Amino acid sequence: MTKLAIAIDLDRCVGCHTCANACKMQNNVPMGMLWNRILTKDCDVIDGAVGEYPALARTYLPVQCQHCANAPCQKACPTGATYKDEKGRVEVDYDKCIGCRMCMAACPYNARVFNWDDPVREPGFDYGDARVPVRAKGVVEKCTLCKERTDGDEVPLCVRVCPARARIFGDLDDPDSEISRAALRSGAHHLLEEKGSRPQIFYIG
Amino acid sequence: MSLTRPYKITIAVLAVLVALGMGAYIFQLVGGLGVTGMSNGTSWGLYIAGFMFLEGLGAGALAIASGVTVFRASAYRAAVLPAVIISVVCMLLAGALVLIDLGGVVRIANMMLSFNPASPLFWDVCLVSCFLVVGVVFLYLLTSKRGTAASQMATARIALPIAVLVPSVTAWLFGLQIAREGWYSSIMAPLFVASALDSGLALLVLALIWLNRNRVRAGSERCLSGLAGLLALFVAVDGYMVGCEVLTMAYPGTEGAAALLAEMTSGSMAPFFWIEVIVGVFAPCLILAFAKNRRRPGIVALASAGVLAGVFCKRIWLLLGSFVYPNVAGAPGLISGSSSTQGVEGVHGWTVVSSYAPTLPEVLIVAGVFALGVLAFLVLAQRFLVDDVSSEEGLTDKGMLAVEREDVVASHEPIEASLDCRFGTVRAGEQERSQ
Repeated sequence: MTKLAIAIDLDRCVGCHTCANACKMQNNVPMGMLWNRILTKDCDVIDGAVGEYPALARTYLPVQCQHCANAPCQKACPTGATYKDEKGRVEVDYDKCIGCRMCMAACPYNARVFNWDDPVREPGFDYGDARVPVRAKGVVEKCTLCKERTDGDEVPLCVRVCPARARIFGDLDDPDSEISRAALRSGAHHLLEEKGSRPQIFYIG
Repeated sequence: MSLTRPYKITIAVLAVLVALGMGAYIFQLVGGLGVTGMSNGTSWGLYIAGFMFLEGLGAGALAIASGVTVFRASAYRAAVLPAVIISVVCMLLAGALVLIDLGGVVRIANMMLSFNPASPLFWDVCLVSCFLVVGVVFLYLLTSKRGTAASQMATARIALPIAVLVPSVTAWLFGLQIAREGWYSSIMAPLFVASALDSGLALLVLALIWLNRNRVRAGSERCLSGLAGLLALFVAVDGYMVGCEVLTMAYPGTEGAAALLAEMTSGSMAPFFWIEVIVGVFAPCLILAFAKNRRRPGIVALASAGVLAGVFCKRIWLLLGSFVYPNVAGAPGLISGSSSTQGVEGVHGWTVVSSYAPTLPEVLIVAGVFALGVLAFLVLAQRFLVDDVSSEEGLTDKGMLAVEREDVVASHEPIEASLDCRFGTVRAGEQERSQ
């Protein structure tokens, strides 16, 4: 089996949002949506800090679909539009999606975005990878782990573009892979571990 | 058939509301769900709250109707047919609200073609469909000459468990979601059943009082006061379960629960929470605890209206409260995605805590759905209940309506004198009988 995963090294992330923008471009993500958000952890302003001067700390937290092994969204989807594929990715079949948004209620990470209107793009045409299907009004979408790229040998674009090399992509079922070794590092953890959703995106630091 | 003027005006107003709602729905179909106030943060809104409410009303009414039949509570038989009419109408509209909420209603066939049996929503659709079939069959057996007491009993025996399962499965849409602090609780299903029973009964009591006033269907005073007593019990159970849930949330003092509780008791959900507690639970319980009050239709109607308002408010805070705080907190937070923020540049499309207010099309659609419900009830009442009273022989055949008919006519004589009869046909029926 294959269990594709991404490790994000929070000690290396500089909060530059390059991954978020690359993702938006690669996947033709419309205005008002992102599949990958870079949060300034525990702050209510972007690039804020936690603590009291001079003891300040700032952590950037990139959040995307966590491709959970025990995915709440996949269980909740009434039509099976959301599914776990043979490479361990959580994917959406847009033709099956009835737009009930049960998955959005079920996702603990708020990773999913919905096409509330006809998608608006600036500039006024589709951009990014031509292999990525265009989503219609009334369906849900989210990070696909760059399905079109990772079907082959390419890595997801967020991993490819990260200037700080904070992201590691690979197969958790291959014990010799870099990501399997990263998963054993101290400080490797999941978001909302207590929810038991067993994400395949994990964080170091 | 001659109809009185206030009745015609009521019908006209309701028809206008329905037409406005349909217009708003077409507007939504063209523009997408972006015309609503929903966003990526609060991805369900008034439609789903309305669905929860109507589904509860329908299930509660059917539970009463089938319970009375199954347990042969003959004193309440006059309530059975109105209750079944209410249950079918409410459940149809609940289903309609779910369809209205769908972004891809054209792909609804996927629910049958490729379904996921692990999804509570799939089961909800199945059970609501079963409910409607059983409800319509029950209605047919109660109103047709072919409906024997045995067939009604058999239908009621199927209807009773379905009436309990429908609110349970609806509750599991929420209660099984580990993602949401305020939903993930094993008390959700019993709580939804309790809310269904008290709100459904409250609506039934209101309908019976209204019908009595118009001398259409007589619940007789004892029937009504008995139902009012049952209502007090149901409301108390509902309130008790809310209390259990709030205590369990508050006691461990976890961060997420504390934030949600603050939102419920003193934040944006506070009006809904306190209306539910005060108007929906304490006031009706206090009023209906006294036998003297239970005998006065006006007071019982007031308490019932309070229960309905309370349960609707509960649907609101229960649904929306859990959308406010994302589990993974941080700036800039969630990106809205909805059209209300489109055209707004930069940071204004983002929000650290999610907020929601229904838009005009959304309110019009929901108002249209409720108006359609009242309209359908009036039409069905005119068709089935009025004819019942005016036709002499139909009553005993059905075995449902003969109970205390004479008492009813007698006990409501003084009321009739002071009240305007809205159903012209009823008057005609009464006159025929007196001749």
